Amino acid sequence: MSWRPVKAVVGREMSKLFRQRARLISSMVRPMIWLLVIGSGVGSMLQGSQQDGYLTFLVPGILAMTLLFAALLSALTLVYDKEFGVMRMMMIAPIAHYWIVLSKLIAATLTAMVQALLLLILLLVMGLISVKIALALLLPAVLTAICCAAIGGLIAVWSKSIDNFAVIMNFFIFPVFFLSGALYPVNQLPEYLHYIVVINPFSYGVDLLKHAVPNVATDFSIMTDITVLIGFSVAAIFIACWQFSRESVHAPLFQRMSK
Amino acid sequence: MARNLAIKTEGLTKKFGQTLAVNKLDLEIEAGQFYGLLGPNGAGKSTTIHMLTTMTAATSGEAWIAGQQVSADPVAIRRTVGLVFQDSALDRTMSIDENLQFAAAMYNLAPDVANKRIDELLSVFGLQDKRKRKLVSLSGGQRRAVDIARGVLHKPKVLFLDEPTIGLDLPNRRSIWRFVEQLRRDEGMTVFLTTHYLEEAAACDHVDFFQQGQLQRGGKPQQLMQQLAAYILEVNTPNPENVIAQLTPIFGSPIREDEDLSFKISADDVDFHQLQQTLGDSIASMQWRKPNLNDIYLWTFCSPEQGKIA
Repeated sequence: MSWRPVKAVVGREMSKLFRQRARLISSMVRPMIWLLVIGSGVGSMLQGSQQDGYLTFLVPGILAMTLLFAALLSALTLVYDKEFGVMRMMMIAPIAHYWIVLSKLIAATLTAMVQALLLLILLLVMGLISVKIALALLLPAVLTAICCAAIGGLIAVWSKSIDNFAVIMNFFIFPVFFLSGALYPVNQLPEYLHYIVVINPFSYGVDLLKHAVPNVATDFSIMTDITVLIGFSVAAIFIACWQFSRESVHAPLFQRMSK
Repeated sequence: MARNLAIKTEGLTKKFGQTLAVNKLDLEIEAGQFYGLLGPNGAGKSTTIHMLTTMTAATSGEAWIAGQQVSADPVAIRRTVGLVFQDSALDRTMSIDENLQFAAAMYNLAPDVANKRIDELLSVFGLQDKRKRKLVSLSGGQRRAVDIARGVLHKPKVLFLDEPTIGLDLPNRRSIWRFVEQLRRDEGMTVFLTTHYLEEAAACDHVDFFQQGQLQRGGKPQQLMQQLAAYILEVNTPNPENVIAQLTPIFGSPIREDEDLSFKISADDVDFHQLQQTLGDSIASMQWRKPNLNDIYLWTFCSPEQGKIA
């Protein structure tokens, strides 16, 4: 196996990312709205020192949100390329088909990290975090990005069309985000919601990011976070590759053509 | 394998649920041949190509490409074959160059090798000045040409063309065929073609007519035409029943489309002028000509014996 095809797939996604600068900039709008509107709004209900504390508390959460949206949308290109035919160019190439998934997930991770770096720079400029915290957030961000890419890959290989992906994403993305501890501490949730947080792999990414910010309460230990993130990512990527290698996944692509 | 076979299949079968798309297909295509698989829509032509190029797995049976078993090592098969899909496989938002560079990298061609090859192919297709152009700005024929260039970047031993000229106008179709001919001449690749435009298949070394997943009739186009009939007689008449009653005893049942009748005539000594006088005013027009591949197609799939008159 040579790396050239993998580099080609990843390179194509990267060149598209930087070509669509407007999209890149607009991807910064969502976390800013959360931070400034929700953060300030909810913060205003809190008292005194808790107000500043809530903004700091939100930093890992909105960073995780940026990673989640970026990675999921990037994994969507697995479905998008199928819809627009480019997937055929990859399917007929002399590489095992699971490499297509792996390449796309590498691209999704990198895309998420590019957006995360942009956000960190913005937060630095706004004075919400220090350089030290920004650096401490990098490694947890990479692990979270991989986990989000794996979630995206898992959804993508089971989506027959873009519409399909959009439906599943709406079903997934908000529960995954809201029930992760990104916006509020987990231990204050009612018990039945607490269980959902615990089985949500994204929660562990959020938690690991929280560990990097001083004075933010965390719910799990660093070891638990890392173990779950790596374990889930490996399993999810493995299942996504397996499902993608099955022919039935591509039946829509080819049956449409054999008309 | 005694002979140098580019493609061989034994009992190749594909089922989609209960539908039999390809039924026990046996093919032997020698290296360097220009082979045409012809048949109506939904006959299983594309499915056959997809099985031979590892895009879909056979339900049963086996196929070999250049002596390699298709199911044994799909990646090696994909290295050996080129496939030009019926629908474009290109990214419309990228330029010709970006598309072909991407495809070349997928075939693991080093950049300098890829560049040379892209230059070479684009000059065959007359697109060398358009290399940096976005795909959306090209005509349908030019996009198809880029699609074919993409399919042969890695110099495949066997090139599969699935309806390569579909939706193109006549000049573009002609130029696509010139390119394919040149590629065949220069690189000696075996070409496996499916097409609706039967006149285009006349250049094939061998054609097979395919329906409902089964081979119906095959051979060299020239021979098939000779075997079909000496002449095809086409008659347009306001009273088709009368003419059918009059001529069927002599020539056999015609293919009928409303007021148009088409008889196949085996004898090569028919006096058509005499016939014209006999029919007299009961016909509006008549003409006789040598058969072509369209006639073989019609007589294979729409003949009166088949009970399916179009």
